[in-house]
Amino acid sequence: MTTDDHVGGSPARVGGIDRVTGRQAYVADLRLDDALFVKLVSLDVARARIVAIDSSAALAVPGVRFVTTAADLPDPMPRFGPQFRDRPVLAAGETHFHGEAVAAVAADTLDAAEEGARLVRVEYEELAAVFTVAGALDLAAPLVQDPALRPGDPLANSNVLREHRYGWGDVDAAAAEPGLVVVEGTYSFPMVTQFAIEPHAYIAAPDGDGIAIWSSIQHPNWLQKVIASLLHLPLAKVRVFAPDPGGGFGGKQHAKFEPLVAFMALRAGRPVRLVLTLEETFQAVRRGASEVRVRTGFRPDGRLAWRDVEANYLIGAYADIADRTVGKGSYTAGGPYRTPAVRILARSILSHTTPSTAFRGFGNPQQIWAVESNMDEAAGILGIDPLQLRLLNVADRGDAFIPGDTPADGRWSETIEKAAEMIGWNTPTPAGRGRGIAIGLKSGPTTGLSYSTVRLLSDGSVIVHAGTSDMGQGARTIFAQIAADELGAPFEWITVVSGDTAVVPYDQQTSASRSSVFMGTAVLRACHDIQAKVRSMAARLESVDEAEVVVERGAVRIGERTLAIRDVVKRGLGRLGGEVIGVGEMRKDAEPDHPLGGTAAFYEFNATAVEVEVDRETGDISIPRYVTVSDVGKALNPLQVRGQDEGAAVMGLGHTLMEQMIWDDGGRIRNLGAIDYRIPTSMDLPTEMASDIVENADGPGPYGSKGMSEGALLPVAPAVAAAVTDATGAVIRDLPLSPERVWRALRESGDVAGAPGEAGS
Amino acid sequence: MTAIRIELTVNGRPRSVPVEAHHTLLEALRDDLGLTGTKECCLVGECGACTVIVDGVSVDSCLMLAAEADGAAITTVEGLAGTDGVDRVQRAFLATGAAQCGFCIPGQLMSARALLAITAHPTKAEVEEGLAGNLCRCAGYEQIIEAVLLAADEPDAGDGTSEPAEPAP
Amino acid sequence: MRAFAYERPADLAGAFALLAEHGPDARLLAGGTDLIIRLRDGSIRPRLVVDVKRIGELDDGIRDTSDGLIIGARTTMTAIAADERIRRDYTALADAAAVVGAVQIRNRATLAGNVCNASPAADTAPALLVYDARVVAAGPAGERRIPIDAFFVRSGVTTLAPGEVVTAIELPVPTGRRGAVHVRRTRRRGHDLAAVTLACSIDAAGVTRLAYGSVGPRPVLAWGDTSLLADRSASDHAKAELLERLFTDARPSPTSMRASPDYRLAMLRVLGLRAVRAAIDRLQAQGVRP
Repeated sequence: MTTDDHVGGSPARVGGIDRVTGRQAYVADLRLDDALFVKLVSLDVARARIVAIDSSAALAVPGVRFVTTAADLPDPMPRFGPQFRDRPVLAAGETHFHGEAVAAVAADTLDAAEEGARLVRVEYEELAAVFTVAGALDLAAPLVQDPALRPGDPLANSNVLREHRYGWGDVDAAAAEPGLVVVEGTYSFPMVTQFAIEPHAYIAAPDGDGIAIWSSIQHPNWLQKVIASLLHLPLAKVRVFAPDPGGGFGGKQHAKFEPLVAFMALRAGRPVRLVLTLEETFQAVRRGASEVRVRTGFRPDGRLAWRDVEANYLIGAYADIADRTVGKGSYTAGGPYRTPAVRILARSILSHTTPSTAFRGFGNPQQIWAVESNMDEAAGILGIDPLQLRLLNVADRGDAFIPGDTPADGRWSETIEKAAEMIGWNTPTPAGRGRGIAIGLKSGPTTGLSYSTVRLLSDGSVIVHAGTSDMGQGARTIFAQIAADELGAPFEWITVVSGDTAVVPYDQQTSASRSSVFMGTAVLRACHDIQAKVRSMAARLESVDEAEVVVERGAVRIGERTLAIRDVVKRGLGRLGGEVIGVGEMRKDAEPDHPLGGTAAFYEFNATAVEVEVDRETGDISIPRYVTVSDVGKALNPLQVRGQDEGAAVMGLGHTLMEQMIWDDGGRIRNLGAIDYRIPTSMDLPTEMASDIVENADGPGPYGSKGMSEGALLPVAPAVAAAVTDATGAVIRDLPLSPERVWRALRESGDVAGAPGEAGS
Repeated sequence: MTAIRIELTVNGRPRSVPVEAHHTLLEALRDDLGLTGTKECCLVGECGACTVIVDGVSVDSCLMLAAEADGAAITTVEGLAGTDGVDRVQRAFLATGAAQCGFCIPGQLMSARALLAITAHPTKAEVEEGLAGNLCRCAGYEQIIEAVLLAADEPDAGDGTSEPAEPAP
Repeated sequence: MRAFAYERPADLAGAFALLAEHGPDARLLAGGTDLIIRLRDGSIRPRLVVDVKRIGELDDGIRDTSDGLIIGARTTMTAIAADERIRRDYTALADAAAVVGAVQIRNRATLAGNVCNASPAADTAPALLVYDARVVAAGPAGERRIPIDAFFVRSGVTTLAPGEVVTAIELPVPTGRRGAVHVRRTRRRGHDLAAVTLACSIDAAGVTRLAYGSVGPRPVLAWGDTSLLADRSASDHAKAELLERLFTDARPSPTSMRASPDYRLAMLRVLGLRAVRAAIDRLQAQGVRP
């Protein structure tokens, strides 16, 4: 029997029917009997010393069961965090950012919890705080983090959480070469928020002698460790249920309020649930803001000679995974180019603002905005076509473009050329328009560990256990495609189980576009494990030597004969039935001497080309044509690849054109919520959007695949800005390119109407 | 608090349900009627995740008191097709890959359904306008728009008429 | 949301009685697209919400009378944007109604509610000013008509008396053909609150009426001799200078996060000229040359 190839096709999304019928149950849709509702209490200031908390009025509200404050939690306050254990379960003594929870009310109804939360009286004293890079670096600035949390850290008495230094070659020596053209600029990227349409939701319930947690989290196994550690429970007594997140984008990677609801559930002796409002999610997660200074030396022919980058990332009040985004995001600031000498200094700078965390692109979009804008400015100064400047410098496959790391793993020039061809780079730009092109590179996972068990049941159907969170990327569909092909089962006969740490084997995390490569390989290996067992089974049934049996791609071959795996298994398992269990593992160990702790498993690479029109009177940018091309190695599911790339592009257009968190002088978010934090709607799209891929099967994942999903977001802003410059001559180094900012830039470059007498050109 | 009994038809089924005066239709659907397909996100009428059809027109159920729905006929995502089927819009969403994380999809479907009821063969611009009140952060807008245009080209089996879903094993 | 009581009077008398009894503790609910947001965010905390949608005397239609068009208090933006008479004779209002929120909002939001909110950024306000609309208010003492320009006071405040209910908005019969348009500036193309909103109407005699909003505490009807605007021989420069004088009442908030004052003022000028041109185009499309 031969099976249809599912890999490389686009079968119906696993979970698709539930998504279009409303049956998909997200955390907030779960109803546990007897659950208490939790509402958080926070202050309308950023940093404050908490003098006293009076819960008596709240407790008098009918239905309010209890109020949890720091005083109700273990002393010292339990802290957690993926990089530093600095985040308290509730603010302890002092709040560090606008919206930090100081208390939580548990009640029989949400109404009662909300009423109680309004009545919790907090006496506090507002304290001086820092909200900007300059403010945080001021020597007289108040410290965001208690130095006691950073013993032995020479930076402990500053707001710099970490400094990262990377590089190769000798930049000073290279810069001494005569005749180089030096291009310099500082580029800023504002705070933006993930704005998953599903607000974060948490449920906790006592579970026998342990605890169960439901969370819309990307890393259930990581959460399991956090909760076990805080509650002093064995891992096996912490069961994490992770229903498919309604969008994650990095904001749901790490624990936020799960520890709080866990303590509250144990206190209540019954389930408690906390569903954040959208406003509260803005106060829980964001992307790090940045100011990146780039200086690049070019030879007159356009070849890169050296690059010097100083990147200041404004992270929030607690480290979360933000410092890692700074390190990993800045590490590739040399770009996908052959640069003889590179020096990178990146700082993660604490501030009294929403803790920043992972967000699609993981620190790279900020850096790429700077570096690619710098490349475009260089092209202008050198008088070289921006496309040619990139092609001239981009690394070839195999080039050690970052010495000591994974060599370039794709034919990146092919990706660039494809994007250029699709936008018609070498054809005349239509009148009134401008064109821009930019490229983006992201280092993939540096370590990883994924396990899968695959169970081939006696009728040939298959259950795949794979702990990846399916948050829209369609991970389960990919795993089902692999299992269907490898085990010869109809696609509809595959069930993929995820989101339950008591059932599904360990997966390190769903991040860094890793799951097709890491979990996909684990699933593939589990299928191979089954194939080996089927091979023995077939040899026994057919009374041939195992050496004569080949099992691959869904079929058993003995000489000229081909048998279906299903038929072999049915006979082999016999009257008792049962199943054949395969186990797969994919591991990438840490390399302690590597600056990031490990080389890149793969690189994500994307080229984006756009055509824009700029309304010179209003500053409005419209995008008649948009092209995005990603090197994906092999598209396991082209429809899903397209969805991820186009989705990343539109998300990138959000921070390029309109998104920014706006703060008042007291560190409060002014545009809290959906009315004044603008994200793209269906009316804000490019008129024509085209996405394509490059497939050379040169990735480390199943069938030559690479990770993808973040790449198409990386170069959006510099591509659009380059096109604006092409159309108008204005160079803009700050995001977003809002109409007002573009208008202002045009006016400064003397290219706009506006005052009487100038209008109406 | 004031409980009010309202009588309404939800997905073709007459319901009588006590609601709080200050509760929205969204809360009544999700909490009182257990219809959790309608989603909650922004609560200010910006995102459209809670879109349902009330007496033939799409509304944000977060901005309508449950009491206001007394006497109304409501269709939620659960009522688009029969229990084991999908309608042409749902089928098109599956075909074009429009449903990614899925959280906005019930709202998108309701807006699409409402649009097609008024404009049987919309242009792309009309679809963009018709669905602009439904934010998608996976930003699968291109595929969502494609789905609506695809659905418009298919014969409509009518509300509540179930059509075959994926083949069962 | 904080708890409140809900009443649904069947007639105006019932509404008046509730308003008289509860005074400022009562709020009227029409489409709810603003009210419910404010109930939830706690910026208003009424004890009673009075739903006007079942009041028998209020209708959701648009009626032709010898005095002009009468838009019932329950008429939604969707209905207004789709109404052929409004699209023909009150084009700027049709334009404006079509951009209030997204479809779901327009299906609920009413013109009467929009007017009563008195938001400086209300999209429909400039058009209503340009058309000399009248607010029909009913109270226990009877009915009165308030010119729209005398209705708006400042954000959230109108000259509607306590205990009164807006029953309709009247649009006077046009005196002749006119070209009219509503334009706005927003941060994105999808639904958004406008940073500048402006309506312009030009008739065959060249009489130009212009109103603008979102640049001060209330929407403004520009006064003065505007005939130059419709004058095809006048230069853009001269028109811009005239517009500048018409916009002297613009006082954009210096603290708004949506746009800075200088951008708003600059956009007022840009939109002013564009609106004049578009209005002339629409007039010419009817075969009329101003």
